[in-house]
Amino acid sequence: MLTYIIRRILIIVPMAVAVSFLIYLGLDLTPGDAVSHMLDPTRTVDPEKLAELRHALGLDSPLIVRYWIWLTGVLQGHFGYTLTGGVPISSLLVDRLPATLELSGTALILSTILGSILGTISALRRGSATDNVLTVVGMIGVSIPEFFFGLVAIVVFALNLNWLPVGGRLLPSYDSYWDHIPNLIMPALVLSIMMTAGVMRYARSSMLDALSREFIKTARSKGLPEWRVNLLHGFRVALTPVIVLVGFRLPILIGGSVIVEQVFQWPGLGNLFVSAVRNKDLPVVMTIALLSVVLVLTVSLIIDVLTAVIDPRVRLGA
Amino acid sequence: MSDVALSVRDLKTFFYTNRRCNKAVNGVSFEIRKGKTLCVVGESGCGKSVTAAAIMQLLPTLSRIEDGSIVYHSDHGDIHIERLARNGSQMRAIRGAEISMIFQDPMTALNPVFTIGFQIAENLRYHTAMRGRQLRDKVVDLLRTMGIPLPERRAGEFPHQFSGGMRQRAMIAMAMACNPKILIADEPTTALDVTIQAQIFELMDRLKREHGTAIMLITHDMGVVAELADDVAVMYMGNIVEAGTVEEVLRHPVHPYTRALLTSMPVLGKGKNQSIEAIPGSTPDPFDRPPGCQFAPRCPYRVDACATMPAETHTTPTHRTMCWRYEELAADGA
Repeated sequence: MLTYIIRRILIIVPMAVAVSFLIYLGLDLTPGDAVSHMLDPTRTVDPEKLAELRHALGLDSPLIVRYWIWLTGVLQGHFGYTLTGGVPISSLLVDRLPATLELSGTALILSTILGSILGTISALRRGSATDNVLTVVGMIGVSIPEFFFGLVAIVVFALNLNWLPVGGRLLPSYDSYWDHIPNLIMPALVLSIMMTAGVMRYARSSMLDALSREFIKTARSKGLPEWRVNLLHGFRVALTPVIVLVGFRLPILIGGSVIVEQVFQWPGLGNLFVSAVRNKDLPVVMTIALLSVVLVLTVSLIIDVLTAVIDPRVRLGA
Repeated sequence: MSDVALSVRDLKTFFYTNRRCNKAVNGVSFEIRKGKTLCVVGESGCGKSVTAAAIMQLLPTLSRIEDGSIVYHSDHGDIHIERLARNGSQMRAIRGAEISMIFQDPMTALNPVFTIGFQIAENLRYHTAMRGRQLRDKVVDLLRTMGIPLPERRAGEFPHQFSGGMRQRAMIAMAMACNPKILIADEPTTALDVTIQAQIFELMDRLKREHGTAIMLITHDMGVVAELADDVAVMYMGNIVEAGTVEEVLRHPVHPYTRALLTSMPVLGKGKNQSIEAIPGSTPDPFDRPPGCQFAPRCPYRVDACATMPAETHTTPTHRTMCWRYEELAADGA
């Protein structure tokens, strides 16, 4: 198992490089560059000065050269500077990453636990009113986009009821996780809605599948109480596919956080990412993209290991 | 009555699907004698498994015990199983401890994510006061009794690490953990190799002799019946058409269906040209049953009287059948 894990970690490096090149290529194909976004469109600028600025920022070298410079820098731990303000990207990351991890992490844990519990309840009471209500709510959760929920939540809970702040993350001198909670509640809940609904539907069908198996009858024939039959024998078997699903949904969580961070003005990577894309600030975009690639690859490794741990039939490295 | 472990009287179990009613078990009576093996034989869909599930109150949700009684004669008096709540505490106290069950496919009947030892210990944990070291020792001891080599190591392994035969042995160990009075085996060897089958039956027979466990064995293999049974009940479309001791039923079958079953299998030593007679036709649609005797449409001895359901008639105190013409057939000999 250890060699398998080491091999998987080593594979992450070339995969991240390959994916990052594709992203770099894609960004290069979009029209305009950072310089064209810095200009005031109402004024005419001397083309020579523009060329000078492009040269200073290194934008006039060929794609491969630029990519190589960026890549070697990243591999040595230099993420570079933002093109628009000259701020070191690493210090931006230190500012922004905790906020995003806080938001996505809370939403992930919330949606996994809530989704599994609701899905299990739905499966155990299948065909009942509870099940039907949860099914409808789940469908709504899956099909309505997050920004809509976000805006509705702001109107209702922040503007009308005045229970929660409209957005933002930090108040001066409040900086522990618990201090963020009032600010965190709405974005985290909104971000977790879609995933909760997905996990719930999946947990329901996985649970129904587990409950229809023969070993449930065996467990009952041993005289075990219903809670143990359902929650130990049933849920334990139903859990494996749910965990795999949660892992594969993680990219959606990162993608969703871009939108939710915008809606709630959450000062995380998603917010930074949107402004960087608008300004064609390539180093920033690339850094964040690389980060999510590495995150997704790492999570899929963790999911694989976790699956092997909870399901004895799965053996790694075969 | 003291030698009877379980008596079933006029049991009716119906299934309700799409507003239609399938009378899967339609008035079945039998007794399981202490320390004896009762074989229930019949084609697929005749109600054998449903009868077993009814005794354990393990029926699917769309079915229920409609009528009749299932009385378990425990050491502390008679218990009417059909009156107990399906998963209530009284029913759970009987399941696994007094009456236990093994199933057809030991692969799917064992939970893949728990060790064999854990799954056996679970039974003991809920029915005995055993804990810790004592519990582990008992599990290993059970596995050893069931003929599983290296029981200490095997207890910590998962079902997928066991072969089919070993899994069924582990299932039997689980069922026998609390020394039940009755063991219900629902086609326990259908999913196994023929050589393994013999070993499993040998094991069950030994347990019956050593522990005095009454066995209800559901099978469709007449060879197994001849080998193991003390009593036989032949089921067809939800009725027991003939029942008696193994001698009576196999040597002097009176019901045409039993006869058909016996002539439909080859006998070793009779040579390759022996006539094996298949039963003509197929089992009727359970939603569109013949009005009288269920076997009448396929029966070579059919007469007009067969349009009404024959009553159960005893030919000897132990041998009974449901056929209008049993007297002629009995006189006719097998």
